[in-house]
Amino acid sequence: MVAIEIEGLTKDFRSGAGDGRIRALDRISLRIEAGAVTALLGPNGSGKSTLLKIILGLLAPSAGDCRVFGVPSGRVESRVAVGYLPEAPDFYPHLTGFEVVRFFARMGGLPGAGLRERVGAAIAEVGLGAAAHRRIATYSQGMRQRLGLAQALVTDPWLLILDEPTSGIDPAGAAEFGGLIRRLKDRGRTVLLSSHQLDQVEEICDGAVLLDRGRVIETGRVDELARRGGGGLLGVESLPENAWDELRAWLGARGGVLHEGRAPRAGLRRVFLEAARDGGNREDCPR
Amino acid sequence: MNRRGFSLGRIAWIGENTLREARRQRLWLLLVIMAGALGGSARLFHDGAYGVPEPAFLLDAGFGILDFFGSILAIAAPVQMFFSEIERRTVLTVLAKPVWRAEFILGKLGGGLVLLGVFCAFGVVCIASLLWWQRLAMAGACAGAAEEGGRVAYSAVIAGGMVQWLRLSVLAAVTLLIASYARTSLFALVAGFLALVICNLQNLACQAYRLADSFWVRGAARVVGSVLPDFGLYDVVDRVKTGAPLSAGYLGGITLYSLVYVGVFGSLAVYCFRHREL
Repeated sequence: MVAIEIEGLTKDFRSGAGDGRIRALDRISLRIEAGAVTALLGPNGSGKSTLLKIILGLLAPSAGDCRVFGVPSGRVESRVAVGYLPEAPDFYPHLTGFEVVRFFARMGGLPGAGLRERVGAAIAEVGLGAAAHRRIATYSQGMRQRLGLAQALVTDPWLLILDEPTSGIDPAGAAEFGGLIRRLKDRGRTVLLSSHQLDQVEEICDGAVLLDRGRVIETGRVDELARRGGGGLLGVESLPENAWDELRAWLGARGGVLHEGRAPRAGLRRVFLEAARDGGNREDCPR
Repeated sequence: MNRRGFSLGRIAWIGENTLREARRQRLWLLLVIMAGALGGSARLFHDGAYGVPEPAFLLDAGFGILDFFGSILAIAAPVQMFFSEIERRTVLTVLAKPVWRAEFILGKLGGGLVLLGVFCAFGVVCIASLLWWQRLAMAGACAGAAEEGGRVAYSAVIAGGMVQWLRLSVLAAVTLLIASYARTSLFALVAGFLALVICNLQNLACQAYRLADSFWVRGAARVVGSVLPDFGLYDVVDRVKTGAPLSAGYLGGITLYSLVYVGVFGSLAVYCFRHREL
């Protein structure tokens, strides 16, 4: 089953006065299978957030078609099974975390029966149980990010769209987030996330879509992309101390580099950097 | 997939959320300021018969203060409630749920109208309390003076408060329409206050232009007079001062008039917001 199907999607924004237009997305076509965890990658201004907003029906495409579980994304019905975490979320500062998640649960169509328990469970799932009845104004950025995840998860959606989900979260929180995504995948949920945390993307995502200047420049499985980036890892055990120099020289003669101590997660990063190499000359898109 | 219908429940929850936020933002402080202004003006101008303010003065001052603070609230509250959602980007999170944009706008409008209703009810209670206190003071000063001071029809005061609420509701709907397409809150605020001035003065302008020789000028005056609500129709203080209750015909007519304008401006706000890129 296809969760998201995009065909020839183009989005133009008006640029100030006159007929000037900026093309934020340029004839994008892609399919995201249900049950997959997919990363949307690309430099700032590449069109990631615009694409996510079109999938959510928050922006109308200038041309092309976007469907979520077969329903055109402009229709309200396309969002029934969708949870969304915006980038750097901020919520009603005078309300408590519990009130905010309850409000979004109601907006998501959760019935009154069992609402309280479901809201409590979503808040506990992101580790905010102790702060649930504190006002948002007292929350740190990381706590707001977790609360954003809670409101996205509260309706137990089949598709989760996460815009920079781990920005502002400490490493321990980011590791917990990875575990959460894996649990969601095990439950058959589809996740589409945009991120700059490439190490994490390599760990938790099945597939990746690389955008640049509004175009899809790479798409495929994360492990394949990483291999293409040359980041294959060869484990070496029980090598005598005096053989290391010999190995380093042998690799060097063939253009390889020996990394000691930790895994060189350069594969996806290299693909990303190559894609964004010309980014300095890029005209930034408005969103 | 089933069609997702329009939900009054979601509109009510958006309105409730708006009200709860307004309450926590201490918008009720405006009520305290209004009560203080009413009490202060009654105390300051106790130059009527027997050293207490005249009922007519209290009614003038009371409804004037209600009008003044109410207009500020009717413009500032929708702008603040709308743009805080845009600036915090909570509107994205709300509309990423299966929520119609119309539900969002109507929820905001509903929350605003309830807020204004609470404000007007509180204002009416303050005015009625001052009138009651004034009668007690006059009766204490001289037997029979309360009757001399003129009759006070409390039902007319309540009806007058309701009429003010209708006027403020129309103003809030106009302001929400402006906010629904404005790019900045400052523009919406300024345009809202301009709309208030125009609605207050349009009747005078239209009357003047209706006397013009040109058919086109007279026609334009009539069109402008129909497009924008005439706030002169909501001036009820002079009628309340007579002590007679407001007629059912007037109340029914002004309610219908207000409902039409709130409906039209609310629908236009929904239309603008549906086409707004977030």
